[in-house]
Amino acid sequence: MKVDQEKHNWPKWIPKANIVAINLFLIFHIIAITCWCVPLDVPPFPQCRKLVRPYFLWAGLFQAWDMFAPTPWPSNSYVEATVIYKDGSRTTWSFPRMEQLSLTDRYFKERYRKFSEVIQIDDNDALWPDVARHIARLKSTPSNPAKTIILIRWFSPIIPHPDGSYQPEAWDRHVLLGYGVRPEDLQ
Amino acid sequence: MKWTLRSLPEAWNRFFFAKQSPLPMALFRIVYGLLVIATLLLLRPDWLAWFGTHAWISLQTMQTAEPGTRINLFTIIPQSDGWIYALFWIFLSSAILLTVGLFTRINSVIVFLCLTSIHQRNLYITHGGDTFLRLAGFFLMFAPTGAALSLDRLLRIWRGKTRSVTEQAAPIEPQRPWAQRMIQIQLSLLYFAAFCHKVKSPAWLNGTALYYVYHLDSLRRFPVPAWLLRPTMLRWGGWSAIALEFALGVLIWVKDLRYILLAIGLLFHLWLEYSLNIALFQWDVLSGYILFVDPADASRAWNWIKLRTTGRRVDPA
Repeated sequence: MKVDQEKHNWPKWIPKANIVAINLFLIFHIIAITCWCVPLDVPPFPQCRKLVRPYFLWAGLFQAWDMFAPTPWPSNSYVEATVIYKDGSRTTWSFPRMEQLSLTDRYFKERYRKFSEVIQIDDNDALWPDVARHIARLKSTPSNPAKTIILIRWFSPIIPHPDGSYQPEAWDRHVLLGYGVRPEDLQ
Repeated sequence: MKWTLRSLPEAWNRFFFAKQSPLPMALFRIVYGLLVIATLLLLRPDWLAWFGTHAWISLQTMQTAEPGTRINLFTIIPQSDGWIYALFWIFLSSAILLTVGLFTRINSVIVFLCLTSIHQRNLYITHGGDTFLRLAGFFLMFAPTGAALSLDRLLRIWRGKTRSVTEQAAPIEPQRPWAQRMIQIQLSLLYFAAFCHKVKSPAWLNGTALYYVYHLDSLRRFPVPAWLLRPTMLRWGGWSAIALEFALGVLIWVKDLRYILLAIGLLFHLWLEYSLNIALFQWDVLSGYILFVDPADASRAWNWIKLRTTGRRVDPA
């Protein structure tokens, strides 16, 4: 390919080195991104993913395009917290539920839908104490601090019927975490 | 066209390096900048709730849950809400400057660093649209995005660094499109990967997947007609989505099919925007379609608009 040497007074090898570097950059990224995001487990895909993982995590090139696959979320669900105060009183706090918000609010609060989905997954249990602490800070007052936070997942399974009709199932609950609030959590 | 091993490097060079109008890339930069601004403004009431010192997930928990060395400005700046606010205002300012095309290169770098940082700071609130913006932002840093439709270009003209053949406008210098091509490849891989995930899924193959999607209360936006929720329609809808994702991932590279596929893809995403509540996702992905528009067609469209609005045929600044 032609190089615009007439514009610059660079040594000849610099534009050539640029082109070589760009080509290497392109080849590497095309192969690496393809191996990373195409869900094939035949060689060399897994090996390539393992190899480029540190770079992808560092540079922010990691990606997943599973979009509602393999199975979409199979139940309507939300996360609620029961807050027990120092004086023994209780209150309930719920993550914003999209179906109860106005159209505008849904745009602003959509991140809560995503976050609420994530913390319902048992594999993400490491996040639960942070969530409990945040709710404790939200709901405490200096005179009546939160003493215990109970995170509860409410869910109603979606069951396909042969005729396509939809009957909402009864809501069930599953306690994710009971957390004893420490004074330093409220700082 | 006859393909030989010898013609491959030639085709590669033509595809990545043959100079072309930077107009599609400049249009993409503007839409990209607007989407980043919109993302930030929608997050604005919760900047500190998601990213502050007392956020839902602490920086320490995030680093434990998602280990590894990562570009994350939150780990560099002092841990105070004032600094975190400052980071967001710098990010927003840079996104505005990128959109108008002032100091485009440096602002594309700042936008990418900040965008990656907020994702790394809280990965649990990002959706596919955010991911596409981050990936496109990476390649945008290498692109000549300020070469057209930018204040940078106007400044160059005023300073006499870009030759002006008329009083109104100077011709836009063609640029090498390799960074644009990488964003195009990224977008097509997005669809192809989504296709691969779906064809491996029994729920998508037996046609029940969309039943779940359209009965999730939290995802519902506007009412969907009941006849579209019948099992047969949902089954065909699911299979059509798989076929379209394959087409947009692979057949999009066939020039004769490109515009018809882009039109179908546009309708597909507009339907999802109407029916599902995933803020900005559809627009984030659709922004990439701009890059598949032939520069000659983009120039023709631009001239047509200018002719209608000013009565003059003018090259874009």
